[in-house]
Amino acid sequence: MPQAGLKMKGIAAAPGVAVGPIWRYCPPQVETAAGAAGQTAPTDHATTGVDGAVPRLRSASEEAARQLAALAACIRGLGRAEEAEIFEAQALIATDAALIDEAVRHIEAGSGPVAAVQAAAEAAAAVLAALDDELIAARAADVRDVGARIARILTGDVLQLPAVPSIAVADDLPPSVTVEIPPGLLIGIALAGGSRTAHAAILARSLAIPAIVGVTGLLEAVHAGVERLGGRPLRAALDGETGELILDPRSSQEIQFHGRKDALATKHAEAIALRDRPCATADGERVRLVANIGAPEDAPRALDAGAEGVGLFRTEFLFMSRQTAPTEAEQVEAYRRVLAAFGPDRPVVVRLADIGGDKAIPYLGLPHEANPFLGVRAIRLAYTSRDLLLTQLKAIWQAGALAGVVPHVMAPMIATLGDVELFLSLRDEARDRVLADGLPCAERMVSGIMVEIPSAAIMAAEFARRVDFFSVGTNDLTQYTLAADRGNAILAPLQDALNPAVLRLIAGVVAGADRAGIPVAVCGELAGDPEGALVLVALGVDELSADAGCLDGVRAAISSVTRAELDELARVALSALEAKTVRALATELAGGGRRNRARQSSGRRSARVPGSAVASVKHGRADPSSAN
Amino acid sequence: MKTIELEIRNPSGLHARPAALFVKTAAGFQSRVALQNVTRGTAPGNAKSILTVLANGVARGHIIRLSIDGEDEETAARALSEAVAAGLGEAIE
Repeated sequence: MPQAGLKMKGIAAAPGVAVGPIWRYCPPQVETAAGAAGQTAPTDHATTGVDGAVPRLRSASEEAARQLAALAACIRGLGRAEEAEIFEAQALIATDAALIDEAVRHIEAGSGPVAAVQAAAEAAAAVLAALDDELIAARAADVRDVGARIARILTGDVLQLPAVPSIAVADDLPPSVTVEIPPGLLIGIALAGGSRTAHAAILARSLAIPAIVGVTGLLEAVHAGVERLGGRPLRAALDGETGELILDPRSSQEIQFHGRKDALATKHAEAIALRDRPCATADGERVRLVANIGAPEDAPRALDAGAEGVGLFRTEFLFMSRQTAPTEAEQVEAYRRVLAAFGPDRPVVVRLADIGGDKAIPYLGLPHEANPFLGVRAIRLAYTSRDLLLTQLKAIWQAGALAGVVPHVMAPMIATLGDVELFLSLRDEARDRVLADGLPCAERMVSGIMVEIPSAAIMAAEFARRVDFFSVGTNDLTQYTLAADRGNAILAPLQDALNPAVLRLIAGVVAGADRAGIPVAVCGELAGDPEGALVLVALGVDELSADAGCLDGVRAAISSVTRAELDELARVALSALEAKTVRALATELAGGGRRNRARQSSGRRSARVPGSAVASVKHGRADPSSAN
Repeated sequence: MKTIELEIRNPSGLHARPAALFVKTAAGFQSRVALQNVTRGTAPGNAKSILTVLANGVARGHIIRLSIDGEDEETAARALSEAVAAGLGEAIE
């Protein structure tokens, strides 16, 4: 590192800002077979042959199991059951017969116990890493970590924990090391390796420790920095939201990062305070804020985040990765769990399975398609596999009755009025069959459609008379409006839901829904982006549905604006020629002054554009939930 | 010796938590318990070793065969069948 203030870039893995000294974690080196035979580690000298080494190995493995069980109990006590399970499994691994037997074989072949246990752990890890099962393959790192722990106990090495609050720097930071650092002493994590989905990153998010991963050249730069500073501790500043890292920051840079940290702390405190109150603008206009969930297990997180219900319950999890279709009973139980978790006051919108097309479902026997996104998926499955959707609807009717709630259902990929009629007839047929079978059945079902195909947006006024609500899927609506594949990175710039063409379609959907008196929700990514959310509320959208982690940010943004400001934003949104014009004003309103405070081309904003008449900006509407 | 075949219905198969519970259940008996993944066609391995169970790569819908040999093989077979049917600590549909 040639000078102070070296800027590096990594992948943002856990939000937050940290400034402090660096603490380096180095995993113990795996001894090579040659090294073990020739020059054993100094502490291995204590052993006198195989007879002494095996008992030492066994007692060290038992000690490791005790330590890991204690860690598990401690983490469980903090209410983090999911993380505790990692350590509970590791405790079993520490005394596992397969691991110990393999290590004993190495000892019998002449290895010292440290080399033996590391070789055995590495071999077991390699077997797991080679499996085609991603979840199990990810345990390889846990096995290596157990080997390292037993080796440390054998050599008497103590893991040197940071003495002052520090930013951990490593290639990878095993979860067992992360949690062994007393709370408060680990203020940030910067890793040379890893990805957003690595254990280290997931644990960092769960413990609310700012983290960045995949910082290329990090270890070399830190090494050079330590060398250059001599005895002086090397410091760092990192931003887990932007992926920025500064080594040996100048005092001006430290002040800047401290400023970001304080701003985040204030924002976070405000967001928590808002969770218990209904989401509304500064002048009291209510916006329903609900969550997107993908499985029954997601319910607690959504409720904690203050979700007023669920705007999108994806049911695909029931249909994927299996050889046969899920049974009706299996589905009833899955839906009942979610509906019951939210209760009668927090409606859950169940979306009919959005499968087919690009996701191969073996039991559907669908032919290969050249354009899966334009193919047989979602409601279109009813053209070929009518029973699949009928069974799902039967299960929802029953789940509603069992949970004591009115089930809300929406059909994806509606293109024509014929699709609407098809959905409604399937719904009614499902109810008749449930009643004929003498099974419990909800009294009614609130039935909506997704508006994600431009034809549905254009025909919204007509479709609105047949259903109870609309839910706009902005991701697909953008993909289909701009004819740009969502998965194609080259076309990513076209995937901007703030494109004026998309916004005008949404305004048209709102206008059509208004005439029929039905509410409009948005469940695409745009709803979870604070700036996007403001634009949607400005256009008259009643309900925003997003991942639980996005709700705080959206709620804070909405609570900071007035209807007058939103009206101005709606005017800009419907007269803008480019997405960036809309984003600039939304950013300013959302208080995101960091990016671009200057209003762009005020002349353009005042220009009249035909089509802005469809805006029909709504004022003081009744609580949309009553109509839902 | 007693041999039973069970279908694993856990959403993610025998990954960490269910595997740990399975191993703990098996380890509670005197009998030798061997496990093989019939769906994958793996060789029988020690069902009291979590590493061996994980290395069998048991995914949802896979069939496992347990060969239980010892004085308490009847009780062990019943306990393991029940534990698997109950979801090994997980909700299974």
